Amino acid sequence: MNTLRLYRKSMAMLIRSHMQYPASFLMQTLAQLVMEGGEMLAVILLVDRFDHLNQWTPGNLYFFFGLMSVSFYITECFGRGITGTFPSMVRSGQLDTVMLRPRGILTQVLCADADPRRIACIAVGTVSLVIGSRMSGIVWTVPKALMLLESICCAFWLILGLFMIEAILCVYSVKSVELANALTYGGRSACQYPVDTYPRPLRVLFTVVAPFALVMHVPASHILGKPLFGWPGWTGFVTPLAGLALFGVMYTLFRMAMRHYRSTGS
Amino acid sequence: MNAYYAIFRLRRRLETQYRGAALGGLICQVFFGLILIALYRALYAGRPQDMPLGHVVTYVWINQAFFRMVLSSDPELLDKIRTGGIAYDMCRPVSLYGFYYARLMAQKIMGTFLRGAPMIVIAALLPKGWGISLPASLPGFLWAAAAMLLGLLCVCAMENITMGFTMRTLDSRGMQAMLNLLMMLLTGNVLPLTLYPDSWQPVITALPYAQMLDAPIRLYTGIYAPETAWLILLRQAAWVAVLVCAGSLMWRANQRRLVIQGG
Repeated sequence: MNTLRLYRKSMAMLIRSHMQYPASFLMQTLAQLVMEGGEMLAVILLVDRFDHLNQWTPGNLYFFFGLMSVSFYITECFGRGITGTFPSMVRSGQLDTVMLRPRGILTQVLCADADPRRIACIAVGTVSLVIGSRMSGIVWTVPKALMLLESICCAFWLILGLFMIEAILCVYSVKSVELANALTYGGRSACQYPVDTYPRPLRVLFTVVAPFALVMHVPASHILGKPLFGWPGWTGFVTPLAGLALFGVMYTLFRMAMRHYRSTGS
Repeated sequence: MNAYYAIFRLRRRLETQYRGAALGGLICQVFFGLILIALYRALYAGRPQDMPLGHVVTYVWINQAFFRMVLSSDPELLDKIRTGGIAYDMCRPVSLYGFYYARLMAQKIMGTFLRGAPMIVIAALLPKGWGISLPASLPGFLWAAAAMLLGLLCVCAMENITMGFTMRTLDSRGMQAMLNLLMMLLTGNVLPLTLYPDSWQPVITALPYAQMLDAPIRLYTGIYAPETAWLILLRQAAWVAVLVCAGSLMWRANQRRLVIQGG
């Protein structure tokens, strides 16, 4: 509980610090809005030209896009300590001060940074989810809503876990490793469309290695009434847990990496 | 001119320092290219278009290969404005605009060579339907190469205009993000311009953004016939002239009211 209070407190502090320059903050939030709007425009234009993707109607595609956008940017908003600042903390030796304090490293890193500008991207994602849900004619029930909620929550941990790969690698090599982007940003671009779009190797990659498909597409396809791979309904509640499992693995590796950590500061 | 060439050479050496990072970036970009192509293949399987799939695949690969030419900026300039280091650059006996134009060009050319050349090789080795196609014709290829050079000049001029905007404020990230988005959308990076609605084509191909990469690609794939290629090149050259004039006027005006920060 103490940790949660600490987290809430630092978030409030970070938001206040972002609000110190309201004009700049507004401008940047607007920029984020336009940027994510641009991403959505690409989906709209593709739908306009191609009409459907396999069995997925335009409404379904907006739903998948919205789900990815909401989950990914919630992670970037609240997990910015890992997704953004961690490599530079290692490079500058700032991490040393973190290790001296009587709290977990991950907690502190997560408390150290937030990116409230991403709220604009989350808004675009939400709009896309709503439009997609309307166009697909989803009849919302309590289990379906819970499934969506679980999917988004687990996706947060999944994406955070994937970003931790970069954090772990940068402890060993100091220089930021662009290759790790293939799973995070690559996963985002690829999995804003349902996974059955892709040929087998990519499908396996995004189901087994970086389980975006299990966390997002299986529940989403149940909500849309077109189960992926023909799996039964209860799987929609079980498969998102893969996101938590991945985070667990990454957390263990992260702790091992921290034991290996050598300061670079001088 | 010699001075600008020296700046260009120095910058080029700096850009070749990080080979490891370039390799990682290369693999990453090939992966992104493959994802996009898989998506377009699935879309084409559902509803074939007038334009063959090969054109879209080629479009994606050239776009990925020349990614560093279009989307890379000079982060040092903004730092220099924030710290006051710009004062040193203003003391140099060369035009500030030309100085940064040369630096930018070197950065873009080397970035493109390090990433683009190996990427084109990889894209050419991929199986049919996934890899880049050969140019439509030899004259088409030569015209495309010439258009690519003009495209480079156009990108640098545009980038300098972006920096001209950002020089005015100390925190310019919002403005920069907007201009970068326009760049990504209208150069065909997010979605090939050829896949935009047909009714938009006359407008978007006339914009300066389309002169950078879209025009060379269309010459390469033969959408623009070699017989009328000189018209395309003329349009590019006109935009380069307009953008360079506008940019240098803007920089001159900025220089007069630039505040040197720091103490």
